[in-house]
Parts: sequence; structure tokens; C-alpha cells
Amino acid sequence: MFKHDTSIPKETVTVTFDGSPVNVPAGVSVAAALLGKGEKHFRKSPSGPRTTSPHCLMGVCYECLMEIDGVKRQSCLVQVREGMVINRHLHNEGGEE
Amino acid sequence: MIRHYDVIVIGAGPAGMACSASLGEMGLDVLVLDEQEVPGGQIYRNIESCPVQRMEVLGEDYARGQPLAARFRARDLTREQGASVWQVEPEGRVYYSRDGISQMVTGNYIVAATGAMERPVPIPGWTLPGVMGAGGANNLYKEAGLTPTGRVVLAGSGPLLLLEACQLIEKGVDIAAILETTPKIPSPKVVPPAFPAALRPDFLYKGVKMLKVIRNSGVPHYKGITNLEALGTDELESVRCVAGEEQLEFDADLLLLHFGVIPGTHIFRQMGCRHEWNSVQRYWHPACDEWGRTNFEKVFAAGDGAYVHGAVAAGLKGELTALEIGTCLGAIQADERDQRAAEVRRHLRSDLFPRPFVDAMYAPRPEMFSFHDDTILCRCENVTVKQVLDVIADGCLDPNEIKIVTRCGMGPCQGRMCGPALAELVALTTSEKVENVGVFSIRPPLKGIPLKELAAMDLEIATSGPAKLFKDAK
Repeated sequence: MFKHDTSIPKETVTVTFDGSPVNVPAGVSVAAALLGKGEKHFRKSPSGPRTTSPHCLMGVCYECLMEIDGVKRQSCLVQVREGMVINRHLHNEGGEE
Repeated sequence: MIRHYDVIVIGAGPAGMACSASLGEMGLDVLVLDEQEVPGGQIYRNIESCPVQRMEVLGEDYARGQPLAARFRARDLTREQGASVWQVEPEGRVYYSRDGISQMVTGNYIVAATGAMERPVPIPGWTLPGVMGAGGANNLYKEAGLTPTGRVVLAGSGPLLLLEACQLIEKGVDIAAILETTPKIPSPKVVPPAFPAALRPDFLYKGVKMLKVIRNSGVPHYKGITNLEALGTDELESVRCVAGEEQLEFDADLLLLHFGVIPGTHIFRQMGCRHEWNSVQRYWHPACDEWGRTNFEKVFAAGDGAYVHGAVAAGLKGELTALEIGTCLGAIQADERDQRAAEVRRHLRSDLFPRPFVDAMYAPRPEMFSFHDDTILCRCENVTVKQVLDVIADGCLDPNEIKIVTRCGMGPCQGRMCGPALAELVALTTSEKVENVGVFSIRPPLKGIPLKELAAMDLEIATSGPAKLFKDAK
């Protein structure tokens, strides 16, 4: 859906995403980092049979909510940091909210 | 210890940056609370570290944020980024969460410069991964240099839709179509405001240039489309609409929606500010005086959150608010305020000449809300149009009643995404004017916070604690 601008060399950080280490550009939001990795499904909707994906990317819609370092946060508002632990809980049965 | 400031400015977009810089220049003690991790707001997002290549694509309107951000940095303000304000009391108390800690601060004055958002217009399939706000996609580019891959469809209405289209064309993105809900022949209502707009040929030239870029690109561009739908099972596969007599369908990996911009009013609603209805652009905005003062003496609204005028005007409005507060706090004299305000207002007037024309040209029309029974109206709670229509038929006509019965607007976004469309749906169904339908009551916390954060708050509520009470009883 999106690709990162690779013409400018950029520092990277390593985050743990759903249990696996992932290299992402430094200084971008968690949402931007993951969209750039081709991730579209951000969480299971707590109230219906669908997965959600970032929609507004300005902190309004809450569709990009993820567990970031143990707290549910809007991933479009939080910047990636070295060692950050990000979980989607896509496979938990109704256990997200 | 509770911290106290002369002024607390909420938001570091164009209005917040200009207002707090100006207050700082007057020597006032200012706290700036901004939700993002870097200043700039949405329009100037990442303005301080955007690489040159991207600056070129984003153009001079974006680059204007650079001197403003530099001015904002130059002063000794208390700047807290990543701070989510979750309650404001108009007497001067602000509660916010930052790094997992919630605290309360007080100020003599509060400026809410919380900006605007893209108008959410529910269409069938808008919850599919691959459907996104056009402004949101633009933010991804400013912030992270992300460019769409695959086939893109842009749909909706407004100058920002065309601007995004031009930037994508320039970047060589594969655009399947631009689908405008704006009618082919503009309404006669655009004629009177066309005259003041003509006073700004530079502005009109910009519009003509955008349309030329689109025409020269050969991208199919339809106007007056209806019945817009996003189709797909697990994610977006295609986009369908009706143009004239013809049904069109385009394979797409990404659908960028944009239906104009509306003020984000939750913070004002939570405080209990009086609001006014903009009947051309169909949105609520806090009622303000010429300085941005709301019905609460200590509370000001600055920028697009007060009324959508665009980035340049937002900065100027922030400046006007700063001049008034500076005078009230005795930092400048009233005659200096008036002298400086006259200059700011001159710029503001010139900047706003084309605005009524643009607002009329891209006025949202009730027809753009194509309410299908199965369309999800409330994304958080997955409430469909049909579920809402059923309770309207049962006699629930107030948005707050509908919320209680259906859970529409009860999720984490607190009705930000469904509120405006719900009001339109009730109005359409009951033939009532949308401004008479009512709005959701907004209560704190404005942003979700963990309960343990609340419990850990250091609040100085009373001088004698419960321990003393028990001691006396003995």
C-alpha cells in the first residue's frame, strides 16, 4: 500500500513487533513505520468481525490503536523507539479491549 | 505542587505556534501542550526535520511553516510534546497525560488551538483496510516519506483533494481515477463570493495550475459522482461510483477520501462553550469574539478549531489571541495591541478574500452522504446505518438517545468519526434541519487513559486529608 522513501539514507531502530524483531526508520510514528512495512491490519475491532487499519492518521479515529510498551495507544501519535514492544493481538479471541 | 502558568496553549500547529511564540516574546510564562511528538500540527507536520527533496514536492505552502517553527523555538517556552489533554475546566485547569503520567496544571488563560480534522463521510466499505483520509496519506509523506504503491483512487470534494492528487501525480503514483462529488456546474451561490476572490489572482492561479496538472496527467477525472462505494472482502479491491448515467468501477489498492475539513470541537464541547452553526460548510464551531475569546472569559479558541480558514489565517488568528491575552495580563498596552492587531487583520482580510468562494464552491451537499443500510456509521462500535434508522423509527431522535440505545458514538473516538454524519442522517430521515438535531454530549476524559494513571494523580484537593478527620473523631 505504501513504500518508504529510500533515496535518503535514514537511521533505523529495532522494535519487537508481534514477538519478532523488525527494523524500521527512526523518527517516524509507529503507524507510518508499519504501513511502510506493508502491514495493513492493525488490530481486531473490539466490537465486530473485522480488522481495522489506520484511517485518519491525525489522532482522531482510534483505528490504529495498538498495545505499545504495554499500554494501548494510538500508533499514529507515538514515535518508534529502540527496543519498543508493539503487539496487535490479531489472534486473541475477543481479548483486545 | 501544582504548576501555574500565565497562559496554557493547547496545540502546536500554526495557531498554537504563532500564539505561544508571540506570548513568549511579550515575556509571559507559557506552557505549550501538544499531542504529537514534534511541533507543526497537521499542516506543518514534521516541518523541522523534513528533507529537502520532500520540501520541494510539498511546496511553498508547507515551507511557510519553517520560519514559524523557528520563531516558536526561539523563545523560552515550556514545550511539552506527546501530551494528550483529556480535560479542561474553563476556570483555568488543564488535565493531561504524558509518558504514562497524568497531571493537572493551572493557567490564567487557556488557548485551545486544537485544529481541524477531515470531515468523516461514511460510504459503503470505508472501514476496509486500504481506505484512508487523503490528508492522512499526505501526513504519512510529510512525516515518513511514505508514497502510495499500487493503484490509487482519490474521491470526495475540496481543494485539498486536488492538491493531494497533484502531489501524487508529481511523484509518479499510478492513479486510477479522481472522483469528485462536487457538481460539474457550480451552484449560483459561488457567484457573489467570486468577486472578492478575484482580488487574489495569485490564489486563483494556484487553483488553475492544479487543474492543469491533473488534466495534463491524463488521469480520468469525473465530477458530480454519486453512490461512491469501496469494495473488497478483507481489504480494498475496487472502487465503484455513478457518474451521470454510467456506472464506473476501478481496481484499487488504496482509496483516499477527502470531504473538506471541519473544526475539532470536542475540547470546546467538553468545557461547555457556546457553538454556532456554519450553514455553508455544515459544521459547528465555538462562538468567539474578534480575539478568539469564547463565552468563557479565560478561554480562547485559535486557528482552524475555531473556524476553518486555513494555515496562514490560523497563524494570524493565533497572533490576535496572543495580543489580547498579553493586554489582559498587562504585558502590553491596549494601544499597542490595537496598532499591532490592525496590521494582523489587514493580512487576515487579504488571506480570506478567496475563502467564501472556495467554501461555496466545495460546499458539502446532503447528497454526498449516501446512507446505505449496511454502511458502518460508527467505526468504533460497528453500528450500521440500518441500526440507527431502526431506533429513529422507534422515536429516538436525539443523538444522545441514539447513542445510549445503539452504542453509536460510544467507542474510543467518542463520536468524532460518526457524530457529524449521525446528525445528517437524523436530519435527512426526519426532514429536520441538521443544526436542530443536536450533538453528542462530550465528557472527560477527552482521550482514553488507563485508570491507574488517574489513581496515581497528585491532586491537591483539600488541605486536610481523611487521616485528620479520623483523628478528630477519636
